[in-house]
Amino acid sequence: MRAMQEATFLILTALADGSQHGYGIITDVRDISGGRVRLRPGTLYTALDRLRADELIGVDREEVVDGRLRRYYRLTPAGTRRLADEAARLQAHAAAALTRLNLAGGTAT
Amino acid sequence: MTDQEHLERAYRRLLACYPRAFREENGPEILAVLMACARDGQRRPGPAQAADLIRGGLRMRLFPSVPRSAPTVRAAVRLMYAGAAVSTANLIVLLAVIADIKAYHAVLGHRLTTAQVSQLNTAAITVEIVYTLVPIALWLWMARKNGQGRNWARGLSTALFGLATLTLSSVFPQPVFNISFVPTVRLSFVPALAPAVLVLTWLAGAAAVWLLWRPASTAFFKPEGLAPVPPARPRSPGWPQPGQPPRSLL
Repeated sequence: MRAMQEATFLILTALADGSQHGYGIITDVRDISGGRVRLRPGTLYTALDRLRADELIGVDREEVVDGRLRRYYRLTPAGTRRLADEAARLQAHAAAALTRLNLAGGTAT
Repeated sequence: MTDQEHLERAYRRLLACYPRAFREENGPEILAVLMACARDGQRRPGPAQAADLIRGGLRMRLFPSVPRSAPTVRAAVRLMYAGAAVSTANLIVLLAVIADIKAYHAVLGHRLTTAQVSQLNTAAITVEIVYTLVPIALWLWMARKNGQGRNWARGLSTALFGLATLTLSSVFPQPVFNISFVPTVRLSFVPALAPAVLVLTWLAGAAAVWLLWRPASTAFFKPEGLAPVPPARPRSPGWPQPGQPPRSLL
């Protein structure tokens, strides 16, 4: 399976512990990435559309707040599996990198 | 008009970049997010925000989301984009040497007599460009409609491929395009491509058509005989108008 794009990975991560609406995903992704990844709405909804087509996420519920539509998204079982696989893959790579850096007397702590 | 209304109107205009079906379903929600991201007193979209919306919209129009569950259709759609890319390369060659049409024919590997060169007028060149644009448009259109699961597009792609095959077989036994600048003889969708390019695009078309008729693709094109929109995507209410009470979502 091909590696996941960082934005996709972070969006799925934002949904991992419960459903969120679009703006919630943007702020959550910013927090998870330590402020480094700031999703713009156009990028977010292009990604959400693709994830829905691939059935990795689904619509949880809709609300209207202050006259504006809020749609909450959640992970599907397939999305949960895909995120878990990707996280394990990244973790294995990161562990290998850190191990080798330590062996080489690098700066990794 | 307040700053907020001003901004909202500008965002609505930008959202027109997205395909209508997507906009009807997601427009109100994206608008809500855009407004939530806006600064106090902001009157117009920032350039980065605007560029992001335009890019997202164009991308969605050009590359529809074919589900991962239909890999054969995804592959067929990619091949169609490859066909469009090759045809675009052909157009670029044509435009690059348009001032010296003889050079264009040298690129294509055949020679024209003085009499034939003298026939080349602006109208003939325009016809040539149009004949080069048509296949690009057809590739993109077919890629999009097949990607959306339209069954008629599958039939039409196959018919177009048949037509291209007929043209190819009629073109090849003869010296290629001796008479290519007489527009009436050019009844095909295949433009003045060099033979190698013709064969490449034909192969892409053949592979795409083959993929489109695989059993796995048929499932994507005909889910229970209905339009192939993924089922779990409820329609949203229309655009809420400013000042109008929110409509019920039920």
